[in-house]
Amino acid sequence: MKPTMSRTRIIFALVFITGAIGVASLLIGTETLSPEQAWAEWQSGRPIRECPTLSILFYQRLPRTLTAWLAGSALALVGCAFQALLRNPLATPYTLGIASAGALGAWVATVFIQGTVLWVTVWTFSPIQASAFVFASLNALFIYLLAARNPRMAPSVLLLTGVTLGMLCNAGILFLRYLAAPDRLVVMDRWLMGGVDVVGFDIVRTLLIGLTPCAILLLAQSAKLDQLGFGTELAASRGVHVGRLQAVVFFVGSLMTALVASTVGPIGFVGLIVPHSVRAITGSRHRILMPVSLFCGGAFLCFCDIIARRLLTGETPIGIITSLFGGPFFLYLLTRKRFTDWET
Amino acid sequence: MNQRLVAHRVSFAYDPQTPVFQNIDATIESGRIAAIVGPNGAGKSTLLRVLSGLLRPVTGTVMLNDKPLHGLHAIDRARLIAFLPQIINPAFALKVSEVVSMGRYPHMGAFATLSPHDRNVVERCLHDTETYELRSRDFMTLSGGERQRVLVASILAQEPELLLLDEPTSALDLHHAHEVFVLLRRLAGDGYGIAVVTHDLNLAARFCDHLLLMSQTHQGLLADGPPECVLTEELLSRAYAASINVCAHPITGSPLVTAEADTLERSR
Ligand SMILES: Nc1ncnc2c1ncn2[C@@H]1O[C@H](COP(=O)(O)OP(=O)(O)OP(=O)(O)O)[C@@H](O)[C@H]1O
Ligand SMILES: [Mg+2]
Repeated sequence: MKPTMSRTRIIFALVFITGAIGVASLLIGTETLSPEQAWAEWQSGRPIRECPTLSILFYQRLPRTLTAWLAGSALALVGCAFQALLRNPLATPYTLGIASAGALGAWVATVFIQGTVLWVTVWTFSPIQASAFVFASLNALFIYLLAARNPRMAPSVLLLTGVTLGMLCNAGILFLRYLAAPDRLVVMDRWLMGGVDVVGFDIVRTLLIGLTPCAILLLAQSAKLDQLGFGTELAASRGVHVGRLQAVVFFVGSLMTALVASTVGPIGFVGLIVPHSVRAITGSRHRILMPVSLFCGGAFLCFCDIIARRLLTGETPIGIITSLFGGPFFLYLLTRKRFTDWET
Repeated sequence: MNQRLVAHRVSFAYDPQTPVFQNIDATIESGRIAAIVGPNGAGKSTLLRVLSGLLRPVTGTVMLNDKPLHGLHAIDRARLIAFLPQIINPAFALKVSEVVSMGRYPHMGAFATLSPHDRNVVERCLHDTETYELRSRDFMTLSGGERQRVLVASILAQEPELLLLDEPTSALDLHHAHEVFVLLRRLAGDGYGIAVVTHDLNLAARFCDHLLLMSQTHQGLLADGPPECVLTEELLSRAYAASINVCAHPITGSPLVTAEADTLERSR
């Protein structure tokens, strides 16, 4: 009944960490900004665009920090939800091949859309992002329709369908690479490494509007996901509409994944290591696990983004950083805590 | 309130060619314990799923207090009927107390935390099943029988009025199996209506008011009545397609069932 760590302490620590990393993310970068300078410019009353420090702060650092936070928290939350849905500790938001479909969409756009059209935007999406989003969403729909044809839509059916479609998409990507002009390859490879280097608030707004209701909907399923962990029969007998729950979690999670994957690229590893690291502290009750993962995911990706900006003289793609720094930390955790007690 | 769950001429088939059972009548009502017995594959678990509303009968009706069970909202149903499946594979590690408090689900909102009342219920159920000492253990590290007792506790925490238990004592030692039936008897005295699937005919004979003997070859009920009427050598031998002997228990006087007692060669 009592969580492993007292709830207020968890919340306090989270608010503190998120705040600290957020402030650090605003100030640290290829150029370190000084708070005094920013304050002086703020006092001067000039428009933000004319102040060197403030304009970097507002038009680059702030949207970037928010993007990293939103993407990281969404991926961690969806990771928790998919691990429960698929009854599999290895599940990440990208396990079902949704990001592969997104990447395929991005490739299709790069290869087939020529010239100026490439720089036209659809709402706040670039054509590459829009195409990635459409492909990712279609893939999710397709997985569900296929898996639902199986009389007992078991988690393993969903998983295998998703993984197989993801492989098909990867084959499509290889084929397009083979066809593509060399200059396009460079652009696309960079996309595949992921990045949160957005400028301006358009992407932030899209993510915020898209992700917030989805996240609330997923968090509202937390008690039901607990029940699902003890099998569909027990859950159903306790009043959970199992089919409906599976559909909601799958589609909402896929939509969030599609949004994130099409804007910041494939950095799904966050959805694996953050939920498991959090699980080691809070236990597996989703009512605590999911919100804590949400905060930690956001903070973790912000942190990775700071490193991405400082590691080399230029910018290191964030996808590399999350794996490079998250991987060893996670391996360390695996040796410390009992992770064997997860049964699939 | 007096609850009555009545199955009237229900039939069920997982696939249309092979019916599991046909035209079964069964009544689960407050204050009484019905045991569902029979050989492996007879359809006991299936009948329990039909009674709990998880499966819809192919023909026939299941009525709760004279209203169709399927008309009931799932949460309202869960407040009245609790069902313990035969096999449960948890996906992730939880503490025993968390497992038991999960039984409170039908009484809580999606975001609601456990109220003091919920905590009291959980604590009582832990005591009732002698699992209170295990409460901060990891469920995955328990022995098979300990797990089963914790699951019974979590079903009790649901505070239903009707209990449908699928082999709640299959992994329990003599003492704990007996204690579970004593607990069921007490709950029946408090007004619970109980259906319990079990392979322990002797415990069923001692503690249950009513036995339903199922058999695959008869695709339904072979017998239905008080223990003395159902636990006869003739009926049991037909149900199990084996030689079964019944005598009176020297101490309790209730039927004592032994399989193949007249087979002389011993296996050791
Ligand atoms: N999900 C299912 N799909 C198809 N057939 C099933 C399914 N579940 C059970 N059956 C079949 O239905 C019959 C009845 O199964 P049921 O589980 O009800 O038996 P049981 O009486 O509970 O047996 P046991 O004592 O071994 O638990 C069996 O022949 C079984 O193979
Ligand atoms: Mg059974």
